[in-house]
Parts: sequence; C-alpha cells; structure tokens
Amino acid sequence: MFPVNYRHASSRLASGIHTILGNKAVAIYIATAFLSTPLAAQPFAYISNQLADSVSVIDTATARVVDTIAVPGKPAGIAVAPDGKHCYVSTPEAKGFAVVDTTKREVIATVAVNDGTLGIAVGPDSKRIYVADWYKNTVSVIDANSLQILSTIAVGESPSGLVVSPDNRWLYVANRISNSVSQIDLKTLDVKRTAQVGTHPFGLTIDARGERIYVANVQSDDVTVVETARMKPIATVKVNMLPYATALALNDSRLLVTNQDDGSVSVIDTETLKEIALIKVGEKPEGVSTHPDDRHVYVANWFDGNVSVIDARTLKVIDTITTGEGSRAFGQFISK
Amino acid sequence: MKKITLFVSVLLFFFSSMVSAHGPVRQKAEEKITINAPAEKVWAIIKNYGDMSWHPEVFNTTVKGDNTKGAIRVLTLKDGGTITEELKKHDDAKMSYAYKITEMSSSKSITHAGAEEKVPALPVNDYAASIELADKGGSTEVIWKAGYYRAYMNNNPPEEMNEEAANTAVKAMLETGLINLKKLAEK
Repeated sequence: MFPVNYRHASSRLASGIHTILGNKAVAIYIATAFLSTPLAAQPFAYISNQLADSVSVIDTATARVVDTIAVPGKPAGIAVAPDGKHCYVSTPEAKGFAVVDTTKREVIATVAVNDGTLGIAVGPDSKRIYVADWYKNTVSVIDANSLQILSTIAVGESPSGLVVSPDNRWLYVANRISNSVSQIDLKTLDVKRTAQVGTHPFGLTIDARGERIYVANVQSDDVTVVETARMKPIATVKVNMLPYATALALNDSRLLVTNQDDGSVSVIDTETLKEIALIKVGEKPEGVSTHPDDRHVYVANWFDGNVSVIDARTLKVIDTITTGEGSRAFGQFISK
Repeated sequence: MKKITLFVSVLLFFFSSMVSAHGPVRQKAEEKITINAPAEKVWAIIKNYGDMSWHPEVFNTTVKGDNTKGAIRVLTLKDGGTITEELKKHDDAKMSYAYKITEMSSSKSITHAGAEEKVPALPVNDYAASIELADKGGSTEVIWKAGYYRAYMNNNPPEEMNEEAANTAVKAMLETGLINLKKLAEK
C-alpha cells in the first residue's frame, strides 16, 4: 500500500545507506524516501463506516483512501488523539470502543464500557478518553495508557456529542433528550454547570479560546451558542433541516453545520451570527471536522458513503471521496 | 497490567461480537429504475404529493396542504394500514421531493420480552425518504432512497421488528412502487 509512512520511510532509508553505500542507487533511494515522507506527514482523516463495520483512512494530501480498517461493532463515533498515535472508535454494538493504532492501521484493543456508546473524545494531552453512553446517561473517563475506566459521571439523558476545552480543564456534553449541555470539571470529574439549549442537541464544538460552544439542535433546526464563562446561551442561529454536528474554520470566524435532512452544510459568520452560505454536499451529511490547515472542512455523507471536502474560503466543495456504507464519523476525525 | 487488559479486551471483543444487536443502527435502502419515457412525463405522475395512486400497495391518499413543505398525507394501504407522512422538501425544477413518516397504524400486536408490542404498518422507526428523477435524454432514471431504524428501539428485537424485517419491508415498498411507475409511464 502507499504512501509509505514515516517510520517505514526512515528505516528503509537507513538500510539503504548500509547495504548499498557507494552505489549510485543511494541517491535515488534517498530521494524516494524523502519524496514519500511529506505524503506520510500529511494529516489523515478517519471515517467510520457504520454499515460496513470499517474505518476508511483518507490521506488528506492526495484526497484518497489509503487504507480500510476492519472495526466490528457498528463503528460510529471517532476521536483522533492529538499525538496522532491512536484513533478511538465507538462501537455501539460491541458496547464500547476500539483502539486503532494509526501506524499499524489496525485495531489493537477493544474496551467494554457500557450499553450504548456513541460520542467519544480525547483530551488535548492525549491522556484520557471520554465516552458517552446513550442508554445509561453517563460519561466514562478512561486512562488512555492503561485503558482502565477511571470514573463514570452521571449527566443528562442520552448524552451524545463530547468536546474537551483546549486548556484541558472542561468537558462539555450535549444531552439529547434533556435539551442541555453539561460542563464537567476535569479536575474533580463532577458536573459543574448545565446550560439549557435548543431541542435535541447532538454534535458540538468549541472555539480555540474555549469561550464559546456551538451545539447543533437536531429537532429545533438551529444552533445554540453557549458562553462557557457563565454557561449561558447567548444566541440561537436558525439553520436547515436536522442539523447534526458543527465545526469551526478560518480562525474561528466560520461555523459549518451539517444539515442531515437537507444534504447541505450551513456556513455561519461567528461574528454576526448569521448564515452566509448553504453548501450542497452528499445525502445525509453527519460528522464534520476541520483540517489542521484551518481551511478545509471534511463532511461524512451517511447515505452516499462518501466524504465532501469544503474549502471554507471559497465556500465550494472541492473533492468528493468514496469511503464506505454508512459513513458517520461523529467526532474529531482528522489527525493534527 | 497492560497485557492483562489487552487479553481481557480481546476476549470481550470476541464475546461482544457474538451477542445480538445493542442499540439500533440506522439502515438504508436505495432502489433505482430506468423508465423509457421523458422525465416530464414521469414527474407528472408522481409530483403531486397528495396522489400516491401510482403505487400498487396504496389504496387511497388524503392530503392536507399542497406541494409545499409541511403538507401532510395519509396513505391507506391495501391491507388497511395507514401511514402518515410529512413533506419536507419539494423541488419542481429538480423533480424531487423528500418526506418523513410521522405516524403509523399497527398491523398487529405481538408479545415480546413480557410486553405487548405493536408492529407498525411499515416495521420501521424514524423513517425519512426522498424520490428524485434524473433526465437521461428521452429516458428517465428514478431514484428512491430511505433512511430508517428498525421498529424495535430497545435491545434484542423480536423478528417482526428487527433490521431484517425493516429492510425487507422497505425494499418491497420501493420496488413495487417503481415497477408500477415504469409500467404507467411507458404506456
């Protein structure tokens, strides 16, 4: 398979030097190794294909699927560790989550958590994994190293989307049935405050300064903007049919919202809090994540089994990448 | 410690893949048909949301509202069951519309896990669908798509309300509709 990843490229380079030193081939060998390195260094997008029991690995540099990893248990939620070593995939039918080694590109462990795992997130230091349980109304805190459950915290009903503040101080949980967002103190592992939002909040995101949360409300067709300092809603922005998840781009100036029942993405100016564009994507768009370049936004289209790549600057779809049946990718699915 | 964890995890992995479905997973259906008739002709047959007479399983349709978002139609099936659907989108230019099931009568009652369960007319939950035409220059491709859950939303569904029952029923509904539409349009 291609591209060669970083580790393989460097070891190949080393053995090349040892074995064929003095040969003209060395130069070519070195050139090849260097050529493949930048490809491998590009961020990867990990797309859960729920109906295919797999995760597609997209090389964002080439916009191609470079690998497909078998992940049994109807994979739904995704969280890529910021250190890039692991990708965590919630598997509701296997009652837990799978740990994917991003170098080997295979499942290296599975962890049983609870009855209905869906939302999943990793802390910015990659040390803890958070998993929401749809049926038990809890969030479990897992040590990323030992894979032991450290704590299980009661939240609102049917917790779904999870996001950790950039300073690693707070965890925010969208409680779908309770129409609320819980703020969990990551020092004490208690719910500190709860904000009431729109009807049936699902996916959420936080800005780089940790000041605002944007939560998509599936039932009320809008996005609630919550100010984290007071945990109070400061605005409600109408979007389209069945908004599912949110992502920020261009220095937090644009919010992109997947409208599941409209096959579109709403683009909101975060200053005026007005919708400035509606971009047509595939059918039933669900998970949405922003590339580390802060400009390209990836959207998983559940019905079509593909991913739309949006340029947030030109507001156009620049690529459509075929992934697998039932692409959901609910969570932060692109490596840094 | 880590080795033990991994070992246990591997065991759990094998165990959990054997136990039955935990928490429903959304299903999808997609049926297509090519009709040897112009798109306008096919669209004329299906475009009125309140008229499902082109579907052989639908005995009667009543509607509140016209071809605009929010219109509600009630399909009475040949077997007496009713399905209530809300129009979510209607696009004359693109020759497509989308709708959602909001209510259904039950076709029968069964006892499962000690409780009475009503099996809906179409054994699904949270069903949304769209039908669209693609003009192929003289002929027409009709694409009917649906996303839905099985009817039983708790763990361990009875066979009348599991994924297989849902998929079979939806596929049949779409297929029979499209076959008949082709027949009508090619007349």
